[in-house]
Amino acid sequence: MALRGGGAAMAKLKTVHANLKFTKGTVTFRGFALVAARAAVRLPGDSDAIYTVRQQDVQIALEVIIAGGHVYLHLPFSGYNELTGADAADIPDLAKLFDARTGLPAVIPAGRNPKNLGAEKVGEVDSNKVEATYDASLIHSMLAQLNSSGDVDAVFWIGGSDHLIRKAVLSGLFGDNGTPSSVEVDLSGFNGSVTIPTPPAS
Amino acid sequence: MTAAPAISDSAPSTRRPLLLLIAGAGLFVTALDAYVVVTILPSMVADIGLTIDRFEQATPIVTGFLGGYVVAMPLLGAYSDVRGRAPVYAVCMLVFAAGSAITATAGLWSFPGPALAWLVAGRFLQGLGGGGLVPLSLALAADLYRDERRSLALGSVAAMQEAGSVFGPLYGATLAAAAATIGGWRFIFWLNLPLAALCAGGLLVGSRRQSRLDPSAATSLDWVGAALLGSGLALLVLALYPDDPNTRATSGLLIPVGALSLVVLGLYARRQATRLEPLIPQRLLHSRAFIGATVANLLIGVALMVALVDVPLLGRLVFKLDQLGSGLLLSRFLIGVPIGALIGGLLARRIGARATAVAGMILAAAAFTQMAGWQANELDVRFGPLPVATIALSACGLGLGVVIAPLAARVLELTRAEHHGLASSLVVLARTVGMLIGLAALTAYGLFRFRQILGTPHLTGDVRAQVDQLERLVGAAFLQEYREIFAVAAALCLVAALVAGLTVGRAQAVARPAD
Repeated sequence: MALRGGGAAMAKLKTVHANLKFTKGTVTFRGFALVAARAAVRLPGDSDAIYTVRQQDVQIALEVIIAGGHVYLHLPFSGYNELTGADAADIPDLAKLFDARTGLPAVIPAGRNPKNLGAEKVGEVDSNKVEATYDASLIHSMLAQLNSSGDVDAVFWIGGSDHLIRKAVLSGLFGDNGTPSSVEVDLSGFNGSVTIPTPPAS
Repeated sequence: MTAAPAISDSAPSTRRPLLLLIAGAGLFVTALDAYVVVTILPSMVADIGLTIDRFEQATPIVTGFLGGYVVAMPLLGAYSDVRGRAPVYAVCMLVFAAGSAITATAGLWSFPGPALAWLVAGRFLQGLGGGGLVPLSLALAADLYRDERRSLALGSVAAMQEAGSVFGPLYGATLAAAAATIGGWRFIFWLNLPLAALCAGGLLVGSRRQSRLDPSAATSLDWVGAALLGSGLALLVLALYPDDPNTRATSGLLIPVGALSLVVLGLYARRQATRLEPLIPQRLLHSRAFIGATVANLLIGVALMVALVDVPLLGRLVFKLDQLGSGLLLSRFLIGVPIGALIGGLLARRIGARATAVAGMILAAAAFTQMAGWQANELDVRFGPLPVATIALSACGLGLGVVIAPLAARVLELTRAEHHGLASSLVVLARTVGMLIGLAALTAYGLFRFRQILGTPHLTGDVRAQVDQLERLVGAAFLQEYREIFAVAAALCLVAALVAGLTVGRAQAVARPAD
């Protein structure tokens, strides 16, 4: 019930801010270990995401702007570069996470064995804490870069009155080589102001 | 005002070496942490979430410790004169341990405020505790030995401090690598807790008969003087902080904040000149040789900092060495320092302090000049069986090591025996101030040059290809930046040689009893 409400509320979102933090295991993308990501999303398809990746001991912030179907990459010290074709397709599109048909709104209600874990505050908002289990294929359909070799356990904190998901913790075998990994997602700024810059042509 | 009884009043002669050893060991442990971070800095920075384009924000991790060190050093010697060495020593160790714990936990849990702020606060506390131990340990050595063995005791304690600060970077790299699975760099700081407890506990137990305190002690502390010195230096570091390296080398508030720092430091100088019992004896302030030795020490501090900080960073960012590899690269420099110090002590007896110091600085300048021409493949370039980089780094360490003993000895010559502790800590203080200002100034200059050299590169290809291109360009820019900093260090060594040559004066008998 709570999961269905959460999915329905998320399906109505226009804008949202997301913060992702990998808290266990290593998830590698194109040779970079993902540490964290934060994104401003304007649905249906625009986003400004900053991925913090680690290479040896150095952390690098990679900014990816997806606006009007164009994908731009911004590396430290350099300007914006438009990526095209396969290079662009390779980039995770965080707006898809909130897509009403294929993203969280559609996937959340499909959780197995939902269990209410009680009430908790997230920030200042009274939320219901709910856990459920998801098939790996469902997670993969949400974000192609997330490959799990087994079920993914999820815990959601769902706003008591607006049913919006404030926080989610996903744990499963989606680390490198199917190792256990965990990611914490904080969501905020629902339907608030979001500015996605339009990068200058380079 | 009644001074607290000295430990020597109560310590049997058999216990004195043990107390000296404990005091020296504590000083060694805290001095290790002064530069322990330079080889582990990239890991620390990454763990608290700083990305490479904000690397300049890591500078206070090093300067924070030095700031605390500089503030505490002139303050706590006098304080322990009235409060007793052992209790103040234990408090310093407690502060150092607290700072270590804060440093070790920075970024681990959701404390309020940014992790970097906690890290810098922890490092400042570490420096505060460690800096207080310098005059304390020297004074303790002077208390324990009032005969002809005093110079040896003072020298031993000073040597522990020097050895700790010089070997800190290698200690950090080795320990972090060995403890990779149990916290990595954080383990280094956790380890300080039992070490600090051992040293503080040992000294308290060893000197437990000394317990009487002077209630008027608090009035004898020059808190205002210490606050002026600390805030003056902090303002100077702030003025030099590169808040926008893309457009300028220093802070946008360079002129007002720099001017304010000069005013505050001027007030400190005026206070010292007029106060009845200043931290620095007036007679010393009027000595040309003392001023010359202090200025030379300050400049040598800058050069020493260039080697200690930039060589391991060069190893990581340009030569692509791992943590331990960069520590081992620096060890080629470090090995030269104690050997140089030994040679410096011997040479000073034969040819005098001035000639020895000047020779050491010229050797260091020559080595820095060679390093200013390094290439990206420098580690593969050989001269006979030895890599050229090894020769240059060893010569640099040797040269800077040679300088230490004659300058310190010259300052000691200018002071009475009962002021040897203070004089020794002034030598360390001058060098530490040089390191602090040098690091702030060279970071500002280096980052500005780095951004100038790198410009705004145009990258092509997929994400991986673009990052690889950027990495190559960043490496080349770092190399050029460090070459220029090495050239600056060479010039500073030559200026220091000139200053020492003109002011320090010829001293034939370095070990001659003072005054």
